[in-house]
Amino acid sequence: MTKLARILIVEDDPNDVELTLTALKDYNLANEVVVTRDGQQALDYLYRRGEFNTRSTDNPAVMLLDLKLPKVGGLEVLQQIKSDERLKMIPVVVLTSSHEEKDMMRSYSLGVNAYVVKPVDFHEFVNAVKELGIFWAIVNEPPPGSVKK
Amino acid sequence: MTDLAEGPAHAGVRRSLAYWNQEFQRIHSPILRYGFSVVSVAIALGMAFALQRYQFHDVELPLFTVAIAFTTWYAGAGPSVLAIIFSSACFDYFFTEPLYSLDISSSELPYYFIFVAWAAIVASFNAVRRRTEVSLRQARDNLQVEVEQRRHRENEIRKLNQELGKRAAELEATNRELESFTYSVSHDLRAPLRHMVGYSELLQRQASSLLDEKSQRFIQTILDAAKKMGNLIDDLLEFSRIGRAETKKAEVDLEQLVKEVVAEIGQDTKGRDIVWKIGALPVCHGDHSMLRLVVVNLVSNAVKFTSMRRPAEIEIGCVDCDKKEVEVFVRDNGAGFDMQYVNKLFGVFQRLHLPEQFEGTGIGLATVQRIIHRHGGKIRGEGAVDQGATFYFSLPNAQDAAERRANAQ
Repeated sequence: MTKLARILIVEDDPNDVELTLTALKDYNLANEVVVTRDGQQALDYLYRRGEFNTRSTDNPAVMLLDLKLPKVGGLEVLQQIKSDERLKMIPVVVLTSSHEEKDMMRSYSLGVNAYVVKPVDFHEFVNAVKELGIFWAIVNEPPPGSVKK
Repeated sequence: MTDLAEGPAHAGVRRSLAYWNQEFQRIHSPILRYGFSVVSVAIALGMAFALQRYQFHDVELPLFTVAIAFTTWYAGAGPSVLAIIFSSACFDYFFTEPLYSLDISSSELPYYFIFVAWAAIVASFNAVRRRTEVSLRQARDNLQVEVEQRRHRENEIRKLNQELGKRAAELEATNRELESFTYSVSHDLRAPLRHMVGYSELLQRQASSLLDEKSQRFIQTILDAAKKMGNLIDDLLEFSRIGRAETKKAEVDLEQLVKEVVAEIGQDTKGRDIVWKIGALPVCHGDHSMLRLVVVNLVSNAVKFTSMRRPAEIEIGCVDCDKKEVEVFVRDNGAGFDMQYVNKLFGVFQRLHLPEQFEGTGIGLATVQRIIHRHGGKIRGEGAVDQGATFYFSLPNAQDAAERRANAQ
């Protein structure tokens, strides 16, 4: 089997987490997924702080980032990652409900790798998550220092 | 001048003007004016006698001249003539040979004439000077009034400007509020919908073997309703975005645009029998992506509402293409509509057909109208039930294609 890269999901809504995980499971992409529930926790994970201080030094191969998050917002997380020499190579995919051009422009100007609007239709949502999972966890060669199993 | 009555500054100006006028005003009453003339000549005569007594001779002439000058200055032309006549008579009677008689000896005649001429010149100079001064003063007063008025107007403009600034700030705040509102709609309302659809589908998948047909239909209805609501929210957001988005204006070749759109829509209507007629269309000045949305909406409407026609006929052309104000139309032979409801055509979520007949949310024409209005154009619809509909839109600065080609050469 092809190597599976680690996916970091940053999503506050438990339903969205479940639906995303369901979609990933459908395509056997879910065994290397880390879920963080807000921007602070995501940064803790990336910087190996707090509850994550024992994790290995490898970065995730891709990060699925929601924009509207408690504590530290998605755009702030993105800005933090892209301005840090050690983290800026992590591919970040914004996965959000927001259609707003403002959010899109801001995300791209901060250096996001992809911007995906969560479709209302479940099939489309599953497809979108599947495509993202397959592309970033299998097809894409992640930067050196990423987790591969 | 009436608006000048307001405000303390204007009252002050009026008072000072009145003071000036009073100080330099001539004596009003004619009796007083002529009396003034007689009195001043009499005073001059008295002084001449008094001086004569102290052996001052030949001062009577300058004294009379001074009296005439005063009369002209304060009493005007008529009294000054009287003063000239009166002082000539006094001069003749008291100071020229033969004394105490109005007869004039021929030797004194030139002297006498010189006096009259001199007096007349002084009087006329005086009169001219006075007239000039009066008109100068009047001009100055007018100028002062105008300056005041201008200051008043400037104040008013400043006040209006301030108000305008306040209004603009309010509008900006409202706009920001609206933006955050649409943002919340876009972000927060869609998430629960997505969950409704997602979990319904999961339920469908998980429990399809356990559910009877009725329950399956219920789940399907939940799904359809949630999806429809998702579409409505998307349409509404799109509609509000068109209101807020900046227009990037450039030359747009409508003919090319229509051909592109028709080719694109034609892909989805492979099974249909549609006869397309595309006439010459002008080049206009506008936002390409917005105008594209107009054409897509109108053409896809035409396709949608002709679904029962074999063949469907859709014509896109332009009325009076050689004139400056051109009107582009999209005509179909479809379901049409009752002209009675024409004013409802462009309303948001207004529909003139049942959802079972034709699908759609009812936002398309509202979007079209908004775009056309933002371009400063006009849109109207004509139709009859079962006889098709025609939508006309006009855009300012549209240029005939042929004319453009001629200009390009």
